[in-house]
Amino acid sequence: MRKKDLVLSEALAKSASRGYEELAEQELFTLAEYRPEETEPLSYIGYSYWKSSLRIFVRNKTTMFFVFLIALTLLFTFIQPFLPGQKDPIKIYNDETGIQIRNAQPGKGFLFGTNAIGQDLWSRTWSGTRTSLFIGFVVAIVEAAVGVLIGVLWGYLRKLDFLFTELYNIFDNIPQTLILILISYVLHPSLKTIIFALCLTGWLTTARYVRNQVIVIRDRDYNLASRCLGTPTSRLILHNLLPYLVSIITMRMAMAIPYAISNEVFVTYIGLGLPLTLPSLGNLIVSGIDKMMEPALRYQLIFPTVVLSIVTVSFYVIGNAFADASDPKNHVA
Amino acid sequence: MNPIISVKNLNISFTLRGERTRVIRDVSLDVLPGENLAIVGESGSGKSVFCKAMMGLLDANGQIDSGEIIYNNQDLTKLRTEKEWLPLRGSHIAIVMQDPMTSLNPLLTIGSQILEAIKLHQNLKGPQAYEAALSYLQDVGIQDPKKRFRQYPHEFSGGMRQRVVIAIAIACRPKILLCDEPTTAIDVTIQAQILSLLKDLKNKYNLTTIYITHDLGVVANVADRIAVMYAGDFVEIGPCEEVFKNPSHPYTWALLLSMPQLAKKGENIYSIEGSPPNMKNSLPGDAFAPRNRYALKYDFVARPPLLQVSPGHFARTWLLDPRAPHIPTPTHAPAQALQADFASDKTPILEVKNLTITFGKGKKQLIAVNDVSFNILKGETFGIAGESGSGKTTLGRALLRIYSPSSGEIYFKGKKISGKLSKHDDLLLTRAMQMIFQDPMSSLNERAKVASIVAEGLHNIGSPDIKSKVHSALQEVGLRADFADRFPHEFSGGQRQRVGIARAMVMAPEFIVADEPISALDVSIRAQVLNLMSRLQRERGLSYLFISHDLSVMRHICNRIAALYRGVMVELADTETLFERPMHPYTRSLLSAIPHPDPLLEKNKVLITYDPSLHQYSNDPPSFRELEKNHFVHCNDQEEKAIRELYKI
Repeated sequence: MRKKDLVLSEALAKSASRGYEELAEQELFTLAEYRPEETEPLSYIGYSYWKSSLRIFVRNKTTMFFVFLIALTLLFTFIQPFLPGQKDPIKIYNDETGIQIRNAQPGKGFLFGTNAIGQDLWSRTWSGTRTSLFIGFVVAIVEAAVGVLIGVLWGYLRKLDFLFTELYNIFDNIPQTLILILISYVLHPSLKTIIFALCLTGWLTTARYVRNQVIVIRDRDYNLASRCLGTPTSRLILHNLLPYLVSIITMRMAMAIPYAISNEVFVTYIGLGLPLTLPSLGNLIVSGIDKMMEPALRYQLIFPTVVLSIVTVSFYVIGNAFADASDPKNHVA
Repeated sequence: MNPIISVKNLNISFTLRGERTRVIRDVSLDVLPGENLAIVGESGSGKSVFCKAMMGLLDANGQIDSGEIIYNNQDLTKLRTEKEWLPLRGSHIAIVMQDPMTSLNPLLTIGSQILEAIKLHQNLKGPQAYEAALSYLQDVGIQDPKKRFRQYPHEFSGGMRQRVVIAIAIACRPKILLCDEPTTAIDVTIQAQILSLLKDLKNKYNLTTIYITHDLGVVANVADRIAVMYAGDFVEIGPCEEVFKNPSHPYTWALLLSMPQLAKKGENIYSIEGSPPNMKNSLPGDAFAPRNRYALKYDFVARPPLLQVSPGHFARTWLLDPRAPHIPTPTHAPAQALQADFASDKTPILEVKNLTITFGKGKKQLIAVNDVSFNILKGETFGIAGESGSGKTTLGRALLRIYSPSSGEIYFKGKKISGKLSKHDDLLLTRAMQMIFQDPMSSLNERAKVASIVAEGLHNIGSPDIKSKVHSALQEVGLRADFADRFPHEFSGGQRQRVGIARAMVMAPEFIVADEPISALDVSIRAQVLNLMSRLQRERGLSYLFISHDLSVMRHICNRIAALYRGVMVELADTETLFERPMHPYTRSLLSAIPHPDPLLEKNKVLITYDPSLHQYSNDPPSFRELEKNHFVHCNDQEEKAIRELYKI
């Protein structure tokens, strides 16, 4: 409750009897003054949609744990290169004799050990996380932008419904992995290729979610009112539709990040991913898988996998929790 | 007589966002066996909560704080689990809900839904149960029950579904039947049929019925006894005739006086100003006191006891105390009289010529509005009456260019506005024509502040001084200017409706389409909104198209009324002419179904049902004809002759 409202409602409660209780009996049985301003009480004083959403989001302890975890991971990922004594993720380290320090166990020199050609796994893991997060964020933003744009037009403009629905059916029926593989195969494997391939299909789901929500709200009377007031469609979309889509958009974005990261891992696994010179969680895990059968070297798989799990699970949980919290139905309790 | 169910000092509260709200405040009521009790109250008054408590159906965030509900020597408030409630629900107390569209399972045939009730509550099986089901369907007036038995809910109309819902409730063989707004979601002509059905069934099955309603017409029709609820408390309880004749709580006075049926045409309707109290605040005295012009100081301090008016008739107000001054029941609107006749120079502001609107194509084509022609004069309120599906809303929206006509033309001040328009004309029309909506809940954008909702149109036309215009528009509709910084959900329905009116008025329009502007509002709020609309019309020379299904309201506010049936305009006449000499059978049925807030009239009213198959139009096609001056009827030669004979014109 806003402080202003609290004061107001306290004042209202106090003034409900108008101090008449101190009057003598014959005075009590006379007509009271009619005060028009007291006839218009407000209900639900101080309810705010965003505040309530936030309150419910914060109340969930599991969610807050993951928020904390992902915040820490993100923060560390970005400040890691600036910390003292960090090693180069691409440089191959040799010992005094000039031989590569291969498969060194995690320890003092190399926190996460080294890989098969003597690169520092600690700095590679964090550098890889940066690459993967970059992919995730870019894909999520592009997906949201394209998905929302298409979804709103698809849902709001009835004339386009048929066209977009058919297009959606065609695109959605091509397995996404196929497109992913095809694009990665045809184009030169690089960061751009992966992002392009992921963006090419990812927006479909967002667009459909947005379209469904738009159809639910587009015929509400307040949109009709806006049309009667001559509100241009662009403003109508911006002011009347988008505020109701924020929860869907944020949820889809939160889901898109882990999805993009796992797809990057997949593409790399089938050998069409990023070159080894550019560390990513994908190629770290793939090289780790080679060592899976040697118990002493399993750390090479475990470290990147743990980071990957933290990132994907956190985003997934947070996205779902936010979708729940932003549903006005859950604001009652 | 011993009460069949007895409520003693019941307190119920709800927890909403961590705050407790007392919804039922220390309420007692005895229901006598075999009576028809009506609980009247506005939305949020707690009447539904009160009845749900009797069935153990309170929402999860509601709880009974104290009090007793005694039924069969058992305290129902002590029942905790569903298992304890099950033997009571249905076989002792059954409920008919408001919306027949959602209270049936769409995936099961209505037959199987009735059978379920019969098997559970009467222990009948096989053919016996089937026979019983058919007889219940017959009882509720469903023709050809054998065929209907196998049909699904979507194959029934709204009124028929409500009959099925009632059949299911009756099939449980309850002692008490709760009817929660049983006719609110149903068309007027069907409403009256459902009520008479409920009365018949009550006698046949020896039921005690409790009606929950906000509609005083329904109350007058069905009730033996009335309990008026305001802000979670019964303010007046008494026999139906008694309460209507001699209302004793100021709220009941005001409620009855604010019925447009009882107001004189051209005069302000008596209205209760303001909105119901916020139940979160403490209400030490009579909750109605702040809105009551006749409140005593004591009413603000202490809750009045139920004081006796006459045997069996009680009211909770200090005005009945011997120490109180005598205040005569007001009979008249305190405000000044309006001009009885509208100031019109009889020039049409809007002309509609042969307007047809269709949706869909080919076999699926639906003719929503069929070849309709009329004029609306400057300064006039033109009413369009019709039931759901009559095309009245479509017609109204077509005038505002939301839907484009399939054929026909619309002229505004002599200028054609159907079809393509220049940007400049479009902007002018947007300013000149506005709309007021039915549902104040969905017609405001929840995520925008009142200021930006009201200012929206001004932004679009690039108006200067937006802020001051918004403030003065809010004041004009009786809202404080500081409400501009608040969100719609902070307001009650009536306040929201006034925000909607301010949004239209700020554009300084000349013509307004009001699509059922009061039917979603509470009785006490309706008068406010109608008065506001009349005042704005007077001050600004507005013309209204008033769309409604409620002819009694239209009689008060409209200069002329047109009746619409399945997209065809069947009759058009001056309001009083229409009420005196209805010529089309559909108009007659509409008029006969009007609910009156008068128990004597209401209990003896004769319903006329309209059956479109009575017209024989195959050889003798109908047209829209002027049978007397300014009185148009959709009829053929033969019918015209009959009407002329009847009214000697």
